[in-house]
Amino acid sequence: MSNLGRNAKFISSNILGRKRAVVENIIDEREDDDYIEPIMKELETETTTDREQTLHDCMELFNSKDKKDATLNRDFLKMYLNLAFSSKLPPQLTPLDASQPWMLYWISNSLKALNPEWLTDDFKRSLAQKLFKLVESDNSCGGPFGGGVGQLPHMAGSFAAINSLVVCDNIDGCWDKVDRKAIYKWLMELKQPDGGFKTCLEVGETDTRGVYCALEVASLLNLMTVELTEGVVEYLVKCQTYEGGFGGCSHEDEAHGGYTFCAVASLAILDKLDEINMEKLMEWCSMRQYNEERGLCGRSNKLVDGCYSYWVGATAAILEAAGYGNCINKKYLREYILYCCQSEKEPGLRDKPGKHPDFYHTMYNLYGLAITESKFYTPSGNFAENVTSTPVDASLLPSAPSGICPMNPVYGLPTKDAKAFFNHFR
Amino acid sequence: MSPWISCTLDKDKPDMPFNIEDYKDIEPLPITTGLPDELCEIMYTDNYKQIMGIARALVQKKEYSARALQLTSEVIGMAPAFYTIWNYRYDIVKWQMETHSNVPELLNNELSWLDEITLNNPKNYQIWSYRQSILKIHPSPSFKLELPILQMMIDDDTKNYHVWSYRKWCLLLFQDFSNELSYTDTLIQRDVYNNSAWAHRMFVLKSTAPSGNDINDEINYVKEKIELVPQNISVWTYLRGLYEYFRKDVYDEEIIKFAETFTNNVFDLKTLENLPPVESSYAIEFLSFVYSKNEATQYKSITGYKALSEKYDPVRVGLWDHKIKRIQQGNRAI
Repeated sequence: MSNLGRNAKFISSNILGRKRAVVENIIDEREDDDYIEPIMKELETETTTDREQTLHDCMELFNSKDKKDATLNRDFLKMYLNLAFSSKLPPQLTPLDASQPWMLYWISNSLKALNPEWLTDDFKRSLAQKLFKLVESDNSCGGPFGGGVGQLPHMAGSFAAINSLVVCDNIDGCWDKVDRKAIYKWLMELKQPDGGFKTCLEVGETDTRGVYCALEVASLLNLMTVELTEGVVEYLVKCQTYEGGFGGCSHEDEAHGGYTFCAVASLAILDKLDEINMEKLMEWCSMRQYNEERGLCGRSNKLVDGCYSYWVGATAAILEAAGYGNCINKKYLREYILYCCQSEKEPGLRDKPGKHPDFYHTMYNLYGLAITESKFYTPSGNFAENVTSTPVDASLLPSAPSGICPMNPVYGLPTKDAKAFFNHFR
Repeated sequence: MSPWISCTLDKDKPDMPFNIEDYKDIEPLPITTGLPDELCEIMYTDNYKQIMGIARALVQKKEYSARALQLTSEVIGMAPAFYTIWNYRYDIVKWQMETHSNVPELLNNELSWLDEITLNNPKNYQIWSYRQSILKIHPSPSFKLELPILQMMIDDDTKNYHVWSYRKWCLLLFQDFSNELSYTDTLIQRDVYNNSAWAHRMFVLKSTAPSGNDINDEINYVKEKIELVPQNISVWTYLRGLYEYFRKDVYDEEIIKFAETFTNNVFDLKTLENLPPVESSYAIEFLSFVYSKNEATQYKSITGYKALSEKYDPVRVGLWDHKIKRIQQGNRAI
């Protein structure tokens, strides 16, 4: 463990902030008789002990193989995703009972991004059937969507359901089954006087997550009206905190990767990125990356987690596409995902070493990985709808590219699929 | 106790033990789509299917009753993220309020029940929005009743996002910020890296219109914590936040001198070869920002950003290059 700091060649072990390495330094320096005050004062707290473990696990993996060999194991992933769509899920996944459209989104979108042909017509058909069956018994049969059979409509469920349908290429005309009118009416009911959106009619949170789900769905379905978006920019601007990132609510919540993505993607949809303190946002995004673990965390002094490869990575990608420059280190992030978020033992991608893979981390790591192998730009026209990526020159990558299709970071969808969906509703 | 009171109590007795026999007249509704090859169908246990099926049937009937309330407890115990049931329970409670002789007591009991659920489900979203909903209809909500559960939850997980956010909502509702600085201080003493606690202090200051002296005290507090652990991103970001909001983003000599004590004269170096060890890369970042604001010191700022790229925080090279470019183009950092 005490060697870790020194093995991290790019950082002074003094800044690593770990007690044992520092103690050793003092001893080393004492040998040269003239004792210099230790350069790093540090306290062992819950934060440092948690991080020490993660740091140790990551370093071990970074030292375990040659850089050229760190590639995405696509076939192993395909197996994992296919299995999820071909068999029933174990009872341990019951906690996801109210998030069924999310599972469909994570899995279908991962398959589609890896290779459009891997999301077969049979899968698409079953997916669309299930989603519409979930809402069949209610008054409306084309949305808004809830988490499962007989469940109330929910912002997050509707977001995931619509995004799942997007990757289904309008199979059997499923896009036309979406009840745009009912969804619009419902979105307007969820709109709050402060400009935010509630996630569910009575008991539900009002936060940037609610705003993003509402605007994402509305813009995909061509439902953006002045009434719907009134006061939203003001609400979002208030969610940016002194740290530079965004909190969940407009009352100076702690800046957080997930809520920041939701706010920034919403502002991108509204084409109002220039309303916020962009320099501070860029600083905050860049602060999320650790020299040692190389990946991104969601808040200051919290642990690295593969899902922020997307939440923070996509935020950075949106800023890049808007011409503000790139504020994360894609090379390092790619290494974190390839070395630390996949394992030879279990298929699927994970939060960090020591954790089991799941559908959520699989999709967001994959999209994060795509970000690290792409450049972002907006060819022309409306900003958010047209943001896309182009792969970086493969010779610039230390190992073979992952072969993930170009994507739109605002919507979390393959560019081509999002574009086709937009055009369908114009 | 008079008979009619006991009758009222009977229907909102929350501790009535759950008994499946109470629902035998209810035909459970299916909780799966029934499609032959349903994608991602969960293999529910029989018990789960039965209870959820009954719950669905009751929700559909809009039955508001003691047994319905009891069933929601059972469902929430099994599946706390099941938001539909939280909404249903809320409707039942509102129905109870219509006839209950003592609404504050009814809702306080509801909050106590919620405390139990909360302790078992620290990461859940619904709990907190449900709690907000109950407080909003409570005729006499009490901050004192909120504090114990908040305390317990933070003790257990000092960075729990939902709990901190709910705490802020409560403080704004009750407009009582008097204990907050000392509360966050105990947490910062426990873990100086706790960013949630630092962010909470900023919320408190912004909500309370502090005097110039209060801010001076706060800056001294921050300095003390930096001296304890100089390489701590939370506290440097907080320091900048203080200056931004309460000092018009104007940085005095004193704070510059203070920050320089952690940077080992890096800003005076003529060359970036053999960069010396420093106590804090965040101090360099802080000073580079401060120096960038004044044309006369911008050269120092560039040195700082280059040193960060070179040695002290190289992963963020993209940002440092961006900052240097902005200075060279004649733009200030903000």
